[in-house]
Amino acid sequence: MDNFIKENKTLQKKYDKGLMIRLLKYAKKYLLHLSLSMLLIVAIVCIELYQPILIGNAVDDFISNYSNNGSIYSEIAKQSDANGVIKLGVIYLITVLIVFVLNYAQAMLLSYTGQKIIYNIRMDVFKHLNTLSINFFNTNPLGKLVTRVTNDTEALNEMYTSVIVNVLKSFFVLIGVMITMISYNTKLALMTFTVIPFIILFTFTFNKVSRKIYRNIRGKIAALNSFISEHVSGMKIIQIFSVEKEIFEEFKKENESLKKEHIKQLVTFSIYNPTSFLLNIVAISLLLWYGGDMVMEGAITIGTIIIFQRYIGKFFEPIQEFAEQLNIIQSAMASAERIFSLLDTEPDIKDVENAIELQSLKGDIEFKNVWFAYESDDWILRNVSFKVKPGENVAFVGATGAGKTTIQSLICRYYDIQKGEILIDGINIRNIKLSNLRINIGQMLQDVFLFSGDIKSNIRLKNDEISDEDIVDAAKYVNADGFISKLDNKYDETVIERGASFSAGQRQLISFARTLAFKPSILILDEATANIDTETESLIQDALKKLMIGRTTLVVAHRLSTIQNADKIIVMHKGEIREEGTHQELLSNKEIYYKLYKLQYEHV
Amino acid sequence: MNGTITKENKSVTGLIKSKYTKLFLKKYKANYLFGILFLVIIDVLQTRVPIITGYVIDGLELKNIEMVNIEHQILYLFIIALSVFIGRIIWRYFIFGTSRSIERDIRNDMFEHLEKMSTKYYQEHSAGEIMAHMTNDLEAVRMAFGQGILFICDVAALGTITIFNMVNEIDLVLTIVAVIPLLLIAITTSILGKELHKRFSIKQEAFSDLSNFVQENLSGIKVIKSFVQEKKEIEAFEKVNKNNYNKNMKLMRMYTVMHPYMQFISGLSLAIAIGYGGYITVYGRISVGDFAAFIQYLGMLVWPMMAVGMTINIFTMGSASLERIEKILDEPIDIKDSVDVKNVNDFKGSIEVRNLSYKYPETNNYVLKDVSFKVEKGQTLGIIGRTGSGKTTLVNLFLRIFSPDKNSIYISGEDIMDLPLDVLRKNIGYVPQDNFLFSNTISNNIDFGVRNSTENEIINAAKAACVHDNIIDFKEGYKTVIGERGVSLSGGQKQRISIARALIKEPEILILDDSVSAVDTDTEEKILSHIKNTRSGKTNVIIAHRISTIQDADLIIVIDDGKIIEQGKHAELIQNNGLYNSIYEKQLLEKMLEEQE
Repeated sequence: MDNFIKENKTLQKKYDKGLMIRLLKYAKKYLLHLSLSMLLIVAIVCIELYQPILIGNAVDDFISNYSNNGSIYSEIAKQSDANGVIKLGVIYLITVLIVFVLNYAQAMLLSYTGQKIIYNIRMDVFKHLNTLSINFFNTNPLGKLVTRVTNDTEALNEMYTSVIVNVLKSFFVLIGVMITMISYNTKLALMTFTVIPFIILFTFTFNKVSRKIYRNIRGKIAALNSFISEHVSGMKIIQIFSVEKEIFEEFKKENESLKKEHIKQLVTFSIYNPTSFLLNIVAISLLLWYGGDMVMEGAITIGTIIIFQRYIGKFFEPIQEFAEQLNIIQSAMASAERIFSLLDTEPDIKDVENAIELQSLKGDIEFKNVWFAYESDDWILRNVSFKVKPGENVAFVGATGAGKTTIQSLICRYYDIQKGEILIDGINIRNIKLSNLRINIGQMLQDVFLFSGDIKSNIRLKNDEISDEDIVDAAKYVNADGFISKLDNKYDETVIERGASFSAGQRQLISFARTLAFKPSILILDEATANIDTETESLIQDALKKLMIGRTTLVVAHRLSTIQNADKIIVMHKGEIREEGTHQELLSNKEIYYKLYKLQYEHV
Repeated sequence: MNGTITKENKSVTGLIKSKYTKLFLKKYKANYLFGILFLVIIDVLQTRVPIITGYVIDGLELKNIEMVNIEHQILYLFIIALSVFIGRIIWRYFIFGTSRSIERDIRNDMFEHLEKMSTKYYQEHSAGEIMAHMTNDLEAVRMAFGQGILFICDVAALGTITIFNMVNEIDLVLTIVAVIPLLLIAITTSILGKELHKRFSIKQEAFSDLSNFVQENLSGIKVIKSFVQEKKEIEAFEKVNKNNYNKNMKLMRMYTVMHPYMQFISGLSLAIAIGYGGYITVYGRISVGDFAAFIQYLGMLVWPMMAVGMTINIFTMGSASLERIEKILDEPIDIKDSVDVKNVNDFKGSIEVRNLSYKYPETNNYVLKDVSFKVEKGQTLGIIGRTGSGKTTLVNLFLRIFSPDKNSIYISGEDIMDLPLDVLRKNIGYVPQDNFLFSNTISNNIDFGVRNSTENEIINAAKAACVHDNIIDFKEGYKTVIGERGVSLSGGQKQRISIARALIKEPEILILDDSVSAVDTDTEEKILSHIKNTRSGKTNVIIAHRISTIQDADLIIVIDDGKIIEQGKHAELIQNNGLYNSIYEKQLLEKMLEEQE
């Protein structure tokens, strides 16, 4: 709650000009639309100002003569006045029709512009997010990043639709009304204007108060909802500790306090609405009082009174809109600030200038005295050096946290190392074009991530160059076709979020097919530790063997067969390479590998 | 068209027939009546304003009005304005305020009922789903009880009075011709309102698709980067984004037409009033003042016409939402005290399990098969076994998170199915595997089950769980708020606070469900020795993965695939040379490796 208010306060700080200029830049492309919309607004305002005059004219020119039962006028005159009044009615109808069309056109024009701009900003944010490095995603909560693309962008919409053009509209209306009134009768106009400062004062005070209450309410609602959702998630604990009654009492208190805040808001609004009614009556009273006098003196006509009466109603809307627009600007600035600060974040892993383009790799890998830490000085790898020849098959073993998985991420350059060099085909990977590097390395993670969609889309991802036949071929090769062809919809079977409906082994096989379909020259695999049924397990092992043929392979090994088949085993311990050799060599050493082997690979 | 109307009526009667509606209308009858009374009074007063201004204008026109008379009329205006001012505050308070009270009442009822729902319910209903009922549906119901009731009364009052005045004081035919177009507003708001709502839902769907797309893209960013699919993802996003744009525009096309359309219809009415009204004024059927008043009245009718359309939609939605809320409120409670519950207030901690077999409701596989063992009061029971072997299920049954069959678990000699739930759970201290703590202060989290512990008791519990030193390192000590809105704790710290939360209850039976896994071995030893020393005469059940955690237990049971495959003391089990021994040897080796330099 406190945090919430604090957050809001910092967001409320004076928006800086830079943000506004950047926001306007997005609108620049639609200058034509905006200008056209502005023109339409001027036209609408003019017609709307003219409408009360039409009514006034109807009264003055035709109607008011008939107050004394019209007996003094001839039938012919009556006829012509009646025709005149009907003609005015028709003219009025035409203005109404024109306003309707123009209003709709103008509103659509603005909506179109607003939506287009939002579309563009959203595209930019999403594009930018996809250039950022893994490290960024590890340190920033996913939920917040999603919000940048969704809600924060959405919040800018009103900025373009309700502010940019409409501020001018409110201004035109207010000024237009004032000028027209003055042109009719300066004295009477000035007299009725005396309510305007009160309307302004009152509207803005109310706006401030109601904003505060609204914020409080939002804070309370957020607090109550998070109370509910937290306690629903923790319901088991509440029941186990048998504190249902106590928690309910707490809940009731929070709920009651939200209700009180709502009542407060209600009362505030109850004062606002009638007050504008009151001010309206004051203005009309002033009009009748002074105007009445003036009519009796013959200084103005009745039509003028009727026109003024209708204009007074038009004071309120623009002023209320100004206040509302101010609110919109404030919240849009807060969102803009968050969006632009994301757009200003530079990716920390990117191509160097003149990065080397490689269409394919031979698969020669070398680590030269590599030191690496995720956070400064907390070394995960210490002076690691090894060489892998093309086509060789290397297994990494070691306890959890020894640095095996880190080595894999470094080869794909998800992080840059602090000291030393990583060379692929003799070239420092920093100088290789990132996309060339990664597309040639097939990386299979321990937890297979499946996207929602279908099996096909999970194998080809979004690469249309991979045909349906390629997919089936790949799946067949890695033994995935067996279980896929048993599914109701085969390769079109729906995959739900994260592939929850498939077993760990099946997910593994799908990921093999995915990797194979992209035909990498280096394979990197972090073997799953999850329980996999024996049948699937043997399929996986067989698939792996086939995948490794002719490819340089680095495996973080958890299976006995994998290490036994490896050309070379590298034993990691606490960030260093401690032993290197074949299975038999290392076993006879009776060192770390021997213990690890007994611990992890030997069956009970 | 006819079909939809009957359907609508049916669902609206659903709202009227609901027992909850009756309950609330009864409870808040006085508030509603009072509010409606003021609403009507105000509507009557408000409709006087055009008459007064019309009177003045007439007077001016006929030149038969004195300045004093105008001043009198102005005074009337002020009195009306003031009464309206006060009256509106009153009815808003009574009508809208009551809808807020009803909202609060329903929310309380829902939460109270949710507290009675068992874990099974929460496995079937996600927190998100429950939240949707407690927010969106509740809001729709509140709208029905607030705006809905207001609109009905306001429309009825303002509409009739205005039309009555127009007919009575001005002209019948003019009223009919000018009001007919306004009826179009009522009809179209209802129809467009429904269509608008539909388009809005479609738009929301597109937006949530977009949101899900981004969510998935970011969750799978590693795959995307490793397969260099960024460009393709952006292309795919472009489609999703475009779809969202299209759905938005579809909504906007209708949404933006609403306001101009209303303006157009009321303008149409006005044009008729000018033409025809002016015409009959010329021929002397009505006065100029009447003419001016009529124009004002037309303006006052626009709102009730819109309200008619909106009311129908508010009630339809409110009724559908109330139905969903009722489904929660009427959900039967499946775990509760049995009919022949024993009247006991506490128990001693002996546990006996006799031939317990258990399968989860609506499944066919037994997760526990013929389990039997006995623990005396004051003893410690150790349970070990692979993940998924049934250990947690066993202790869940002790707590009756799920209910075992009768005659299978006895505590203190009583069948636990006959113990009051409240007594059973109050006397068991449980430290779960997932250390769920609440976003509250540390001290409130420790005191969760007791609720009135002294500061000293809290500190002692924290010390016993070896977390006191960590807590005082925080700037605000025990007052530190944890969780989303505060400090985030490490897994080990959470586990130890969760242990303190159980210890402070000084329960007859303490259950640690793999609760020291994230704590280093030295601290673990300290916590265990503390438990041993302070809980003499009380029973402990410890589930562990590490042998060291349970090797001193009076009885150790080894569970595999739901069956007890070995039981006895540490030394006996080592002798056995079975699963227990092999786990033991592996862990020794692991320790050696860890110590390797």
